[in-house]
Amino acid sequence: MSPRFFWNTLIRESRGARGRLAFFVACLSVGVAAVVAVAGMSASLDEGVRSEARQLLAADLAIEGRRPVPPGLDLAKAGLAGAQRTDLKEMVTVVLAKTSQVVELRVVQGEYPFYGNLELRPRRPLSELLGPESVVVGSELLSNLGLRQGDTLRVGGAPFRIAGVVLSEPDRVSVSFTIGPRVFMSAAGLARTQLEGRGSRVGHRTLIKLPPSFSAEQLATAKERLEKALADSTFYRIETYKEAQPALRNSIDRVDRFLGLVALLSLFVGGIGVAQSVRAWLASRLDAIAVLKCLGMRPREIFPLYLGQTALLGLAGSLVGIVLGSAVQLALPSLFPDLIPAELVRPWQPTALLRGLGLGVGVAVLFSLPSLSTVLRVPPARVLRRDAEPLPSHRWATAATLIVLGTGIWAMATAQSRSLDLGSRFTAGVVLVTAVLAGAALLISWMVRRLPRESLPGRVWMRHGLAALARPGAGTVSAIVALGLGVLVVLGMSLVERRLSNQLATAIPPDAPSAFLIDIQPAQWQGVHEILRRQGASRVDSVPVIMARVSAIDGRAVEQLAAQAEARRKKQEEEKPEDREGARRWALTREQRLTYMKELPADNRIVEGKLWSDPKRAEVSVEKEFADDLGLKLGSKIRFDVQGVPLELTVTSLRTVDWQTFGINFFLVVEPGVLEKAPQLRLAATRLPRGSEQKVQDALAAAYPNVTLIRVREVLEKISGVLARIGVGIRFLGGFTVLAGIAILGGAVSAGSARRGREVALLKTLGMTRPGVAGAFAVEYALIGLVAGLIGAAGATVLAYMVVTRGFELPWELQAWPVAVALGGAVLLAVGAGLAASARALERRPIEVLRAE
Amino acid sequence: MDQITNPRIDIQSLTRRLPSGGRELTILDRIDLAIGPGEFVAVLGPSGSGKSTLLALMAGLDRPTSGEIRIDGEPIQDLSEDGLALLRRRKIGFVFQSFQLLGNLTARENVLLPMELLGLSDAPARATELLAAVGLQDRGHHYPSQLSGGEQQRVALARAFATRPAILLADEPTGNLDGATGRKILEILTGLWRSEGTTLVLVTHDPAVAALADRRIHLLDGRIEKEETAAKLQPAEVLS
Repeated sequence: MSPRFFWNTLIRESRGARGRLAFFVACLSVGVAAVVAVAGMSASLDEGVRSEARQLLAADLAIEGRRPVPPGLDLAKAGLAGAQRTDLKEMVTVVLAKTSQVVELRVVQGEYPFYGNLELRPRRPLSELLGPESVVVGSELLSNLGLRQGDTLRVGGAPFRIAGVVLSEPDRVSVSFTIGPRVFMSAAGLARTQLEGRGSRVGHRTLIKLPPSFSAEQLATAKERLEKALADSTFYRIETYKEAQPALRNSIDRVDRFLGLVALLSLFVGGIGVAQSVRAWLASRLDAIAVLKCLGMRPREIFPLYLGQTALLGLAGSLVGIVLGSAVQLALPSLFPDLIPAELVRPWQPTALLRGLGLGVGVAVLFSLPSLSTVLRVPPARVLRRDAEPLPSHRWATAATLIVLGTGIWAMATAQSRSLDLGSRFTAGVVLVTAVLAGAALLISWMVRRLPRESLPGRVWMRHGLAALARPGAGTVSAIVALGLGVLVVLGMSLVERRLSNQLATAIPPDAPSAFLIDIQPAQWQGVHEILRRQGASRVDSVPVIMARVSAIDGRAVEQLAAQAEARRKKQEEEKPEDREGARRWALTREQRLTYMKELPADNRIVEGKLWSDPKRAEVSVEKEFADDLGLKLGSKIRFDVQGVPLELTVTSLRTVDWQTFGINFFLVVEPGVLEKAPQLRLAATRLPRGSEQKVQDALAAAYPNVTLIRVREVLEKISGVLARIGVGIRFLGGFTVLAGIAILGGAVSAGSARRGREVALLKTLGMTRPGVAGAFAVEYALIGLVAGLIGAAGATVLAYMVVTRGFELPWELQAWPVAVALGGAVLLAVGAGLAASARALERRPIEVLRAE
Repeated sequence: MDQITNPRIDIQSLTRRLPSGGRELTILDRIDLAIGPGEFVAVLGPSGSGKSTLLALMAGLDRPTSGEIRIDGEPIQDLSEDGLALLRRRKIGFVFQSFQLLGNLTARENVLLPMELLGLSDAPARATELLAAVGLQDRGHHYPSQLSGGEQQRVALARAFATRPAILLADEPTGNLDGATGRKILEILTGLWRSEGTTLVLVTHDPAVAALADRRIHLLDGRIEKEETAAKLQPAEVLS
């Protein structure tokens, strides 16, 4: 068969398929739209982050650490002659006007920013507005404290005039999680305050702008030179603008993979509808296929003909899906302004469109294979005898079809998630869930078939509805599977998100602290305690905090250990859920907070060793997971640098900590008598009467401006809010799966519309009224929705249980209300879709149908 | 009956059984039949006598339970599905009671299809010639749903003869047509048979239609009850 003949025959044969186009396109386009929306948004944001990378970093390179970059760092000696440098210090603190407010303070020494737009009012450079006695603040701070430009507020105990307002910053995207509004201050201004005391939590960042002679390709070289020039480079993190916002880009990547799989699931559900459509279409083409075989077309020539038509329909459906998905993608930033930074969106993403196209056509072809393989079995003798037996099937054909289908699903899932592990688990999960749904649907259908319907109580239309459910070949199973999958996805995600939110909302035990106070100098403690007591604090716990660094473990220098951990981390090709090497490096190089106490708090449990058991050595008790990160075991010796003074401690016990009590707990607890004379701060936890936190904060800000109050409930509420918004976003995407399920249900009903029309005509002829007929249909669809809802809800509960208990290690709580809503929703949607699809059949007069017969 | 040397269709001890409700039904029982090149044979019998099954087996549309079928000396019962399809493509044309035109194709495209399958270069010209021969030269662009029953059967005839097949099998070609239309179809069919020199096997339950044939095979309960070569009638005399 020549290519020209094949193409001509394909086009001619497709003339009959156009009636099927609408349903096929509907099923496929919903899933493709979801895939394109997710892929497009992720790619768009990633491109935005990359293209704005310099602005987001506000520099070419940034050096971050808990200690300042040495002022004497010679950039010229480091091979970066001509580079510019700006030093930043960042901390969380409290400002005071009529009342107080927690803010994110940024102290700037040098030009800022090097790139990007820092929008200020008045429109003057930051360096002109900042002086020893002036600050520039975020607009939110003015509204929160009832201030205006020119007013005065106190920061760290010193008064500052508000010289300007920050309207936007280049490195603060609109959806960033922030503790409080921004305040800019000069280095001279910081010197007037009491904020930079010993041990205060200050983050240091040095921004570097490379000279014009450095091209983008030489960025890595510049970074290497800096690493060599810095002493103790292990304690700093150097990032180039190309690596900027790793947390944001990792989040985008994770979201792309996870939501990409959710979108793929809706495409697979659409594939079920496609398979249904192709099956019904081929059923109408059996005579034509027999004639073609009769005329001498070989099976190997007929199969590609119909495969080609399916691919063409898949292309049409995918194109519609691409248009829909692009429209959704454009609408997403305005639908979810709190989640998607509109300023980073780059709408035109051809790779996302191609991905949708490829997956759409792939799903259309793959899911049609089982039906298409029946083409091989059409007996040519059918031209003479309608009841001619089908040709025998080859055993390998069925097996090959299933293998190709399974492999195709796995390949798509792996490509979409960019992970062999995740793709394989997803495929196994989908196959398992589909098998369970299909099996349960068949079981229910079988059970209903065996019900003694005649003796069932209730009206005729109810019994008729049950009978329709049990009818073989009614397309019930695929409708139930599709709708059930939709319910599973939406309800499953809802249950997980609600459980996490509930956990956050109720995470705080009744007697837990409601606030933490940090950076209290020892001499201030009595006064702070008095303020708390006067404000009615019912519980005050306080411990000393000594800042230190690990310098060696069991004789091996920490630089060596950290470098090894970093090298191992870079070798990991696939991101593992537990980034052990990254955690290890962080544990080794971070600034450690030590405390000392005679007895451990009640939420600590010794699991190895014994507390303070060796009188000959200075002992330390280590939290178990932290010990694993540091590579410690009982008897390990840790050498600390306690602000210049070396100290060696021996690990004599390992313990677990129940962090959910919100008590004050430490990774490293030292025995009493070792650190009492070391420079230290105090950390306090207190339980305040509701509503008194602001008064306490105001009083502390006035008397002790370096002390920061962190309100536990407020932070949890912020996190809970973010989770809720994420949950809405995920449920929005899960809605595509439900839509696909509805499309399939509608298609199944339409496919049977001829039979349905005859049924209606006969029932009306026999005396059933139109409401009665509609009632019978409603019972049938309600049962489909109920069965799909029940099975989907059961699956969703199991899925949520596994995620909550194994993934998040939280106790399980059954939530009846969302399950009931999902069930009711499934029933209503099924009834609505089914009746809408049957409306035409209901309207037809019996004589029209019976005459046409 | 004279022995036919070099038969076009040679059937020996052909048997076909089908399962039916737990038992086996014998549709054809040890049929022996030889049909010469260019011969017109009618197969008669009441409903259920096995006529259509015999036709299906000759065409390789079905497989016998036992026995042998040779087309131009080559056995066909063990050919693969591909092999049988190629046999039909190259050597066999069909006319069916229910026309069996492809509804998505125009009349002309239906006629072209078998020639395109064979890759004949003169397909367009031949299609024009055949449509004219069946009196539908102006209806080639119409779809089957736009044609009457008789017109559809004429298109089917044109399609059947398109590739100048060695064998033409017709299953009750006038079964769904009224008398006058049926006569016209028979006239065209026999006219084309004569002009093309095809071996024609026609199944019918109507003795009058069978009377047009050179030879008449009577089937009853799956067996050849009798063969006869009585005087032939002309199409115009049939169904009058």
